[in-house]
Amino acid sequence: MAAWLVRRLVASIAIVFAVVTITFFVVHLAQGTPCGPSGERPLPPDVCERQRIQFGYDRPLPVQYVKYLAALAHGNMGESFGLHRPVADALADAIPNTFILALAALLIDFALGLALGIYQAVHAGRFGDVAVGNVALLVNSMPVFWLGLVLLLLFAQWLRWFPAGGIHDPVLCPRVDSPYCGLDFLWHLTLPALTLGLVGAAATARYQRAAMLDVISQDYVRTARAKGLRERRVLLVHALRNALLPIITLFGLAFPFLFTGAVLIETVFAWPGMGRLAVNAIFQRDYPVVTGAALLTSTMVVLGTLIADALYAVADPRIRVRGKAGGGGGDA
Amino acid sequence: MPTARPPIGPTLAALAGLILVAGCERPVGCTGEYCGTIVIASGGEPDILLPPVSEFAITRDVTDQLFLKLADLGASGNTIGDEDFQPQLAARWEWDAPTTLVFHLDPRARWHDGQPVTAADVAFTYDAYTDTLVNSSFRSSLRQVAAVTTRDSLTVVFRFRQRYPEMFYDAVYHLRVLPAHLLREVPRDQWRSTAFGRAPVGDGPYRFVAWKAGESIELAADSTFFLGRPHLRRVIWRFTPDQQVAVTQLIAGDADAVEVLVSPDNVQRARADTALTTYPYKGSAYGYVGFNLVTPGDTTKPHRLFGDRDLRRALLMATDRERLLRNVFGEFAKVPPGPLSQLWWIWDPEIRELPYDSGQAARLLTRTGWTDSDGDGIRDKDGRPLAFRLLLPTTSAIRKQYARLLQEQFRIAGVDVQLDEVDFSVFNERARAGRFDALLNVWNTDPTPSSGFPQTWTPAGFGRSNYGRYNNPDVDRLVDQAVASAANRDQARRAWRGAVETLNRDAPGIFLFATANVAAVHKRIADVTIRPDSWLALLRTWRIPADRLTDRDRVER
Repeated sequence: MAAWLVRRLVASIAIVFAVVTITFFVVHLAQGTPCGPSGERPLPPDVCERQRIQFGYDRPLPVQYVKYLAALAHGNMGESFGLHRPVADALADAIPNTFILALAALLIDFALGLALGIYQAVHAGRFGDVAVGNVALLVNSMPVFWLGLVLLLLFAQWLRWFPAGGIHDPVLCPRVDSPYCGLDFLWHLTLPALTLGLVGAAATARYQRAAMLDVISQDYVRTARAKGLRERRVLLVHALRNALLPIITLFGLAFPFLFTGAVLIETVFAWPGMGRLAVNAIFQRDYPVVTGAALLTSTMVVLGTLIADALYAVADPRIRVRGKAGGGGGDA
Repeated sequence: MPTARPPIGPTLAALAGLILVAGCERPVGCTGEYCGTIVIASGGEPDILLPPVSEFAITRDVTDQLFLKLADLGASGNTIGDEDFQPQLAARWEWDAPTTLVFHLDPRARWHDGQPVTAADVAFTYDAYTDTLVNSSFRSSLRQVAAVTTRDSLTVVFRFRQRYPEMFYDAVYHLRVLPAHLLREVPRDQWRSTAFGRAPVGDGPYRFVAWKAGESIELAADSTFFLGRPHLRRVIWRFTPDQQVAVTQLIAGDADAVEVLVSPDNVQRARADTALTTYPYKGSAYGYVGFNLVTPGDTTKPHRLFGDRDLRRALLMATDRERLLRNVFGEFAKVPPGPLSQLWWIWDPEIRELPYDSGQAARLLTRTGWTDSDGDGIRDKDGRPLAFRLLLPTTSAIRKQYARLLQEQFRIAGVDVQLDEVDFSVFNERARAGRFDALLNVWNTDPTPSSGFPQTWTPAGFGRSNYGRYNNPDVDRLVDQAVASAANRDQARRAWRGAVETLNRDAPGIFLFATANVAAVHKRIADVTIRPDSWLALLRTWRIPADRLTDRDRVER
């Protein structure tokens, strides 16, 4: 297990390094210059040129790359010329917001997706299964930003149950540490997390239904029933555990979806996270922020996949046995 | 044995409690005339709250509340001379000589940390704005100021290189005075990342309270402000990158004001809400199709198509600009009579321009040899089709809409237009380098045409903002004449009109729209006055009468 973990960690670091390198060169080689605000009056060329020199963008790209890596090795992610602050500070402000949003969406995704999938499997072929399946298909087919706008219109503008974007009520919550503002934060989190979570849940439910249907026709499930176990116990203890394996794979894959989905959702709901930060940085050609965001996002995705693999090993004794036997094969 | 039901009741109760608690407001305190809170939904976020190093309009909106100018534009918007300017930091001023302007600072002015504002602060500010290490984009606006010196702690002297009508405007309009005692020690090449820029100390009607990155900026009224206590106690900008969402916030009551509603749909949404008032005001932008008059990559050769004046004139006459405008903006813009924003005093609908006349356009194209010889619907000459590419940024929904409508109008005229939609950074790069046939551009203008017009339509703007390299010595002469004679309004107006009409005859572009803005503000806010060049310039006079205060207005921080 330890050897497997070390191998996976080394591979993960290599992946992150490759992502950073590719991002660095792609963003620097892309058309467009890092000068001036996006969508407003362009800066005079002499001001742009001086700014380019100040940030060292006039030097050859390999030199800039080596300099960037050297700084990164010392924990310095550089200075954003668009935000006028260290990249690490900007990311530190944004990461917790994206992380919380992704976590909340993940909870909704899997809690709702598993419940619906199990329900569908148990009621396979009946009205409930068909209805839930069709609704899930509909939600899964919706572009996430469009669903966000619909929920915003419905729950914020018409019903006024939830706020129309933002992370806090700026009038009532100047201080985030008060208990009131904690609740206010959750209130603001609900719609964006629901939007992101619903789309994920629709997909999860389809996977879970298929996995459960596969499992409940197995002999050991029939044996459990024959032993007189209650149906709930048969489903939730015996069948579900085995039906969870494909879902754990899905869990690992959900991370990239959540981070890319967050880019759109953060814009629709004015949620100040990594997605918004990265998109603005791309438009402004704010190279250090784009590369820094890619570094962190890839790290989180790789970690998510690693966690999923570890969970797989926990959930499936066969993998543990293979691991002890000197097998390996992380991607079971 | 039946199992227990899942605890749905407590979950629902907790959720209801959450909504209830979050929906309720905390106990309230403030009463009286100075309790209002305004929340402004803003599409952008400042990059830094240090005026010399930011170009964002939103930065200007915020820093105008924090930092004072020596004097500011009056309601008339007149930039000529000094009679229409309103005192701010300077209580009064006089001209010692034709090129020497003396400001006497108001002795009551204080920085928010209690230090007095002095003449040394003004001299320091001028020095910083013109320092290449600070690299301010406003540096060029101060090129006619030779020196700024102090006479005593409250007297500062501006010396100009020459006499001209807008000397006073140049001295005061872009210069927001900065605290020397807090910035002197900061190395000039580090101003763009100084901590002061994220927590500034100013001398304006509002003091800085907090900036939560990506979320909001909050200012609080300086109750001791020497020009009069602001009525609104708190001003909060909440950053909302999507314009539709900003309007939704406004309608949902999560925000009190939006600067520009942009689309007719949004104006209708705001007008349908009885809690909101809309305020139309003159826009500072104009949009146009600019033709590249030279070959991309070789400025010595004329463009294969647009080097021909007749072809440009024909394309202009083939464009039904009124119809395009109605489609995109409805009533919220005007077709400009040249490269003019509605904000400029030289705006004059009587200025002569080429009319929309598709018949005349077709005849002109035929006369110049562009006919549809192969019957494919596209005119051609010497075996080459009449086709070009139109460059535009993907970030502008308005321009994208215009581009498609133009494409169709040109197609009917037998002209094939392909769209080059690129992101804003690429658009700027290609425009500046002249790598385009034609572009769909928008200029946001200063309150005066004296600097903006020459930079975009005379050789002074080559390599800068005159992307198409339009050059007509007659226009240059008339512009020089107009700028120099600005003190005499009638004379200047005639010269400007002559310059614009000469330019219109050359058709270096098709001038499509000049925006008219509409702001929306919550009805409880009274005395809303909007100055078109800077919509929040008079914010300190806005107020919420005591009988219209809501609990949110009264909340103590």
